[in-house]
Amino acid sequence: MSAVRPARTREPAAVETKPLISINGAAKVYGQNRGLSPLSLGIQGGERVALVGPSGSGKTTLLRLLAGGLVPDRGPDAVQIDGRAPAALKPGSELAGLVGIVSQRFDLVPHLPVLHNVLAGRLGYWSLARAAISLAWPLERRAAHDALAQVGLADKINERPAHLSGGEQQRVAIARMLMQSPLVTLADEPVASLDPARAEEVMALLVGLTAEQNRTLIASLHTASLIRRHFTRVIGLRASRLLFDLPAEQLTDGILAELYNLAGSNDLEPLAGLAARDG
Amino acid sequence: MRQQLETWLSGPRLLTLGILAALAWSLSRVDWQQPIAHGGGGDAALQALLALFPPELSPEFLRICLVASWHTLAYAVAGMSLAVSLGLPLGVLASGALAERPASRGRILPTSVRLVLAAMRSVHELVWALLFVAAVGLSPMAAILAMAIPYAGILGRIYAELLQDVPAEPIAALEATGASPLRSLLYGYLPMALPDLLSYTFYRLECGIRAAAIMSFVGIDGIGFQIELSLADLLFRQVWTLLIFLVTLVVAVDWWSGRVRRSLAY
Repeated sequence: MSAVRPARTREPAAVETKPLISINGAAKVYGQNRGLSPLSLGIQGGERVALVGPSGSGKTTLLRLLAGGLVPDRGPDAVQIDGRAPAALKPGSELAGLVGIVSQRFDLVPHLPVLHNVLAGRLGYWSLARAAISLAWPLERRAAHDALAQVGLADKINERPAHLSGGEQQRVAIARMLMQSPLVTLADEPVASLDPARAEEVMALLVGLTAEQNRTLIASLHTASLIRRHFTRVIGLRASRLLFDLPAEQLTDGILAELYNLAGSNDLEPLAGLAARDG
Repeated sequence: MRQQLETWLSGPRLLTLGILAALAWSLSRVDWQQPIAHGGGGDAALQALLALFPPELSPEFLRICLVASWHTLAYAVAGMSLAVSLGLPLGVLASGALAERPASRGRILPTSVRLVLAAMRSVHELVWALLFVAAVGLSPMAAILAMAIPYAGILGRIYAELLQDVPAEPIAALEATGASPLRSLLYGYLPMALPDLLSYTFYRLECGIRAAAIMSFVGIDGIGFQIELSLADLLFRQVWTLLIFLVTLVVAVDWWSGRVRRSLAY
């Protein structure tokens, strides 16, 4: 474990092209709590980045900053995707095409059939009239069917989400994301409530579908094996700070254990000060 | 000791003691020499009760009852339709669901709409009726408007609360697809709140039938008007028949609302 002494940030080499996502000292403070300490990162198009860290470490805050749902304290420009600041964009097609998010389940609308939940992925692109008509006479049914087929649920198109298992609901959310088709896909603990087999299935699907189109994926999760198998890069956060930024294949269960457990963390320099203060 | 007494006498206990004292005082003010009900009261009540066996069932009178029920239902539905078409948009505005960012929910617009709704419902429909009679005269329009305004105020307030109680995760997911607030309203807030919205609207329709029935005094026909006529002639058998029609109407609406809600269950 002590062999791993990761750099605090992985500065992109000068020869690399301008990153698709650039985070420049973005921070978020909620009242007394630090959602996220100032953070700077670059992420290239096509990367698959895993975010790891205990609850409250700032993963969700970071994802929400990227999704534009939260405005960085320094102003929206601190987070940019493809040269645009998601927090500064109005709802609509530009935001929809830029970034989308899959959360833990429970985020489907239980009162609408699977079809409408999938079509909701088009809401950023549709006019209000189109959206209203589609509620009664679904438009783009074909595309919704295809998206559901890609996640293996074409036969559930008229079901209510409540009749689906947790893994199936998560796949419906992925189909909705396919309809939205953003440049950057964010996933906030997409497999947290699933058993290991289902988690592998959903993760493989999410990664496969984004990799197919060379889209960028940033997901928070806790399982080292899933990260090594499916991701290219792993970023460790704790106490709202960046702790490490590694190629995914270098992530060991040991590093994860250290990240989640304060004891024996003295090997990780950035933590030494914190540990002393907390203790 | 004194300190113990003071702690014992805190807040709620003090209030209870105050209420008990007021009750005792009020009992002491009653003149126990006089009977509580007037002399013939018992006989009159008995007579009214016995009129139920049987109520007035002659075909002519049943026809009057049917027409009166139809009118009452029509006024109630007209008033409610107006109340819903006024209350729903106001309720949506008051809920703050249209704010672009969650942080700005519950700001100026929702608060001012809430005030308007409160003003509308704090005046009873009978008082509105008096105002409208003064303005437009004795007419069905006065009765319908008088019902619609306070009912819109009540509906708007309840609609706003039902929309606010919708689970946050699906709404956040819709917003993350780039959906504007109006689109989130269509695909999130309204579908999720619909069963409760309908259920409450039907309940209010029942109240509306009751209210329409007593609007007779502004000159509209209906069950209330007929009850007034029969009572004036002390025809208790007719009063019973009319009351049975009124109850039937309310029960029918309840049954209908149950069917609609079951068809929406997911």
